[in-house]
Amino acid sequence: MAFLELDGLTKSYGPLTVVKGVNLSVDKGKLVCLLGPSGCGKTTTLRLIAGFVPANAGEIRVGGKTISSAHSTVPPEGRNMSMIFQSYALWPHMTVFENVAYGLKLRRLPQSEVTKSVRTILSATQLLPLENRYPGELSGGQQQRVSLARALVIKPEILLLDEPLSNLDANLREEMRFEIRRLHDEFRYTTVYVTHDQAEAMTTADMIVVMNDGRIEQAGSPEDIYERPETEFVARFIGGTNILSGTRGDKHSVIGEGGLVLRCGSGSTAASGKTAVSVRHHDIELSSAKPKSADTNVTVGTVTRQIYLGSHRDYLVSIAGGETVRTVAPVNVAIPVGQEVWLHFPPEKCRALAQ
Amino acid sequence: MTSDIQVQALPVQGRRRSIDFSWPTFALLTLVLSVLVLLPLFWLVYYSFRSDTGAGATFANYIALVADPTLLRAYGLAIGMALAVGVLACIIATPMAWLVARTDLPGRRTIRMLVTASFVTPPFLGAIAYEILAAPNSGIVNIMYRSVFGLEASEYLVNIYTFSGLVFAIACFTFPYVFTLVANALDKVPSDLEDASSILGGKSMTTLRKVTIPLVLPAMLAGTLIAILQALTMFGSPAILALPAGFHVITTKIWSLFQFPPRLGLAAAAALPLLIITVILLRAQKSILGRKGYTVLGGKSGTPRITELGPWKWPAIAFVFCVLSLTIILPYLAILKTAFTGTVGDPINLSTLTLSHWRFVLFEFSATQLALRNTFLLGFLTATAVTAIALIVSYLVIRRSVPGSGFLGVLATAPVAIPGIVLGVGLFLSYANPTFQLYGTIWILLIAFMTIELPAGYQQMSSAFSGVHPELEEAGRIVGASRLRTLWDITAPLLRTSVVAAWCFVFVGTIRELSATILLTTANTKLVSVIIYDLNESGDLGAICVLGIILLAASFAVVFVANRVPVLGGSQMNTRG
Repeated sequence: MAFLELDGLTKSYGPLTVVKGVNLSVDKGKLVCLLGPSGCGKTTTLRLIAGFVPANAGEIRVGGKTISSAHSTVPPEGRNMSMIFQSYALWPHMTVFENVAYGLKLRRLPQSEVTKSVRTILSATQLLPLENRYPGELSGGQQQRVSLARALVIKPEILLLDEPLSNLDANLREEMRFEIRRLHDEFRYTTVYVTHDQAEAMTTADMIVVMNDGRIEQAGSPEDIYERPETEFVARFIGGTNILSGTRGDKHSVIGEGGLVLRCGSGSTAASGKTAVSVRHHDIELSSAKPKSADTNVTVGTVTRQIYLGSHRDYLVSIAGGETVRTVAPVNVAIPVGQEVWLHFPPEKCRALAQ
Repeated sequence: MTSDIQVQALPVQGRRRSIDFSWPTFALLTLVLSVLVLLPLFWLVYYSFRSDTGAGATFANYIALVADPTLLRAYGLAIGMALAVGVLACIIATPMAWLVARTDLPGRRTIRMLVTASFVTPPFLGAIAYEILAAPNSGIVNIMYRSVFGLEASEYLVNIYTFSGLVFAIACFTFPYVFTLVANALDKVPSDLEDASSILGGKSMTTLRKVTIPLVLPAMLAGTLIAILQALTMFGSPAILALPAGFHVITTKIWSLFQFPPRLGLAAAAALPLLIITVILLRAQKSILGRKGYTVLGGKSGTPRITELGPWKWPAIAFVFCVLSLTIILPYLAILKTAFTGTVGDPINLSTLTLSHWRFVLFEFSATQLALRNTFLLGFLTATAVTAIALIVSYLVIRRSVPGSGFLGVLATAPVAIPGIVLGVGLFLSYANPTFQLYGTIWILLIAFMTIELPAGYQQMSSAFSGVHPELEEAGRIVGASRLRTLWDITAPLLRTSVVAAWCFVFVGTIRELSATILLTTANTKLVSVIIYDLNESGDLGAICVLGIILLAASFAVVFVANRVPVLGGSQMNTRG
């Protein structure tokens, strides 16, 4: 059952429309990632859900009740949501305990209950020994956990996260990704998570929503998004890929500019005109001689760059028609620059893209 | 599991549709600020086209402005004086700022503190200090000169009642503007810019000339423009020093037009060019400081490079000591000495020490008590009102909660371009009429002070607000606090220190104001600054010095108390790191 629904949601600032008719439904207890480059409208969408910005058109419904529409907006404090901010937004004049307790005090719970709930959430986030510290006395990772605890303690209907890990260093970021997923598995709040980091989205999300230019490009499970991208944008944004453009051969094949015919195991070509094929870097087989096993999806090219990266070698190969293909090969396949190589694009790894 | 949690979900209690106060507040503030800022300007322009004798629109005032040689001369002298002050201040302040910021001069920090503290000295008090020191007959310097060389009573060494004396006395109290801006700019020139010049083969003088000085040039120019502006719009010092010297600058000329028979239309017309010059100078200053390419980026680039003075140390010390003596040490000593001895010329020994001036000022002189009460009452009211208005305006502007709130910011900043004397004329024309009848009450002074201090208060509050990340407030909203509750629980405690600082700043600025006050005060609404001016007319320097010391002591006391009392947020926040 859809719990959170966005229906034709639109937001403009003057002549600039940043969210353009977004439709999305999120089931109860699911973690959804809004993923996209900066300026794609994902943060504005999140702030629309939170009620910090009013919508120009469309609706937001939670459990069937409209909370945002063009005519009225329930203020953020009336939505029973919580949010984790990019800056953590910990109040510097309150201790860890006071920060976490603030939301409960607003709900006029008895002191004993407040203390009990705060202590419970602080131990779940391993912050109990730090409860009397001020935010300025905590490390980045600890501040992040306080921010999580403060958001979780009020048992929100919906939890919103706005690029929560972007201020952490690389190691801590990876650790916190799993921590967020663990807490989600434990508490099962309906969660909307905004990020521009695809690895973060892959680790945490039940559903990834790729946004571009104020619209949803594709929504689906991490596997869907990675293995079955529907547009060139999604293919490029998630994981490294080669986009080879050409014209339609038939429903499942594309004729490249140098005459290379690529049969595609999945996806569909555009009905007419230009179309494209996406092949991931590591799915292309590279060899110095013409592969015997395959007779289609094979072409010859010249190595223009080869880099040794320890675990593998990274190649740039230019093929007939002027396109450059990037691919990786095992360390023992060492072909010097300028030499001829054969590339095999396995049909089951080629995905035809209509747009 | 999922359903369990959701059943326990805690709804916000008393969830009501709260009334949005932003619009009414916005409307009210727009009205208040328009009345404060636009109304006096409107009447100023209106009256400048009215004849002083009869009704009807006329250009007579503007014709008089161009035709009247005394007015033109006053403008000419004022502009000449202001330019001379700017150049002098720049010549004194720039080398000193460099010595303090970039060399191994001993006592650099103390020098910096002393110069910054001299900001607190009201310029008119400085002018009086120089009367005590350098008046041709009674000036201490001249008395000593005569007694050392055994000269006639008519001989003198220095005379402050001259054009150059006036320039000197004003420059002494405006050079801190240039000094502070240049010293701060020098602090921010990162050493790697200079290192880059050295590594390419630049000798240290070449580096100074080609890299360092060009980088601080905008700050120098901006500081000089401020000094010029201050000198041009100043009333106190010229009134004290130029009138005995027998000439008028434009501020004193405008004031004289208010003397009987008043020529209000001409005063309004004479005030308008001053307003226009001020606006031009401020725009020039802004465009100089606003050039992005010139702004030095601070931050990671390490500490500024320190030049070793070597044998030049002693001349440098002599120079700095000389400047400090002239601008701070001698004037303050003169004021202290005059407050505690019988007459200016008395030598200092046990028999001449007396508290008679203190007794006179505090107990015998009838005007003091009223003036002290008025001054501190107005200081308190102005500081409170300005801080409150600035707080709300900067909230509306910074958080953009209402479309068009930027206009409020413009209104709140605009008075910075209105010289005190011009505002005085405008307010007199607005409120000293049968409709309002505010002339002769302290309310007209309150309005004047609020208008004058609004830009300073607004600037402080808005920079404080920008320091509070909006997400801190949003975090409060999303866990269930209303807008007002968030302001009270989160924003207010975070701003407390800045609010107290802004309050003090406005208070100190208010109790020393003279330029607008002089046109708006009457016998019932005397202020300490006005009494000082009046007493100067009657030559009672001892009493003036006592009042000056009281003003300075009150200023320092307010700042000190605000920084120490924890309830006011003084040092409490800082200890939490």
